[in-house]
Amino acid sequence: MTDKTEINRDDAMIAIEYGFGLLEGEELLTARGRVASDPAFAAEVALWEERCAPLLDDVAPMEPRADLWPQIAASIEAQKAAQSAANDDAASNVIDLQSRLRRWQWTAGLTSAAAAVALAFAAFGPGATQAPNEIPQTQLASADPLVAQVPIGDTGLRLDVTYIPETEKMLVGAIGLTADGVHDHELWLVPADGSDLQSLGVVTPGEVLSMELPETIARNLGDGVGLVLTREPIGGKPEGVDAGPVVAEGAFSQV
Amino acid sequence: MVSGPTPASPEAREALRDAMVRLADGDSAALEQIYSATRVKLYGICFRILGDTKEAEDALQDVYVNLWQRADRYDPTRASPISWLATFARNRAIDRLRTGKVRGGAVPVEEAAPLPDAAPLADQMMIDGERAAHVHTCLESLEEPAQANIRSAFFDGMTYAELAENADVPLGTMKSWIRRGMMKLRTCLEAGE
Repeated sequence: MTDKTEINRDDAMIAIEYGFGLLEGEELLTARGRVASDPAFAAEVALWEERCAPLLDDVAPMEPRADLWPQIAASIEAQKAAQSAANDDAASNVIDLQSRLRRWQWTAGLTSAAAAVALAFAAFGPGATQAPNEIPQTQLASADPLVAQVPIGDTGLRLDVTYIPETEKMLVGAIGLTADGVHDHELWLVPADGSDLQSLGVVTPGEVLSMELPETIARNLGDGVGLVLTREPIGGKPEGVDAGPVVAEGAFSQV
Repeated sequence: MVSGPTPASPEAREALRDAMVRLADGDSAALEQIYSATRVKLYGICFRILGDTKEAEDALQDVYVNLWQRADRYDPTRASPISWLATFARNRAIDRLRTGKVRGGAVPVEEAAPLPDAAPLADQMMIDGERAAHVHTCLESLEEPAQANIRSAFFDGMTYAELAENADVPLGTMKSWIRRGMMKLRTCLEAGE
């Protein structure tokens, strides 16, 4: 922005603006990212929050309805049950995926380009005879998994979405997320060509789900393609009504 | 005055801090104690920001469920527990306000609910027991239009763009008003520390 009427602002000012909730859009996302990654900036935000918190005493206190606590308690009980259930069968659900994921994490962790190329070569199996540097770039790219992280507000929680081209499988990990008992969250692909959003289904809190993608969706996947998460009634967006509010967004990038 | 700890008393604060520490240690029962001590204040904050009973109830539920999930985020050596909780509730409510509006107001406009009765002031846990915090006087010392707009940002969760629209001024003008006001606020606060 080169708005001439704007006065210069330092990080402290951006921290205040963020803390007050004045920012929107890209500026908000940038500031949010900095809170997560920049301890000095996060401390500045926290300092302002602490300074201004006494102002919240001026807000009129209000009694919530009496049955809200039982609802909260029930939601927490349900989550506890879901967590222990997830611990029991998560192993069988994700066991097939874990060895693959481990390999990609390893891939992602490699910083040497040479090592990355060598590993990609190995991934084509012992039958591949080309020298690593002769592998066509497009072939490499199309075989590489796509990953997306969809952060949920500034909760520190996020959805992890991984697409594995070779099996056409997509993994949606919502570990740490919990159901509130009144809403479901539906994940949508935002095709790069501007066509209609495609539903990737309702997210299952606390689990890693594996699904096979139909070709109509798979062909829209690619580096930079966006994902949005919407809040819907239980069961997902009802037929014939608009999708609910977007609660989180992310984009795919290639490992 | 009745005997026993008042909501603003040091005893009440200590009890709350203790409950927060127990919650972080995995004692779910501590949450009910935290809820009963803070719900009136936090619900008031959620309602003020969201302006809608249903949304405020959802936000309040979200605040306590989140607190249960991530109680370890609270550092008892740093902030006062009620100050931290009030800020947490405000931030969650603002998040809800923003995400609901992403992509051109996907949230249906609900009919304005009648304003619920405010709870008696004595029931709420005070952040600033003595009302001695410098921020009150610093904010009051700001000139208009900065003061009113900074208040709207803080208490109603308005963004620069919304404030500019309400005041019918260009966005850049609103930003300048608020930033100048914020710089004065900062100077005033730092002078008092």
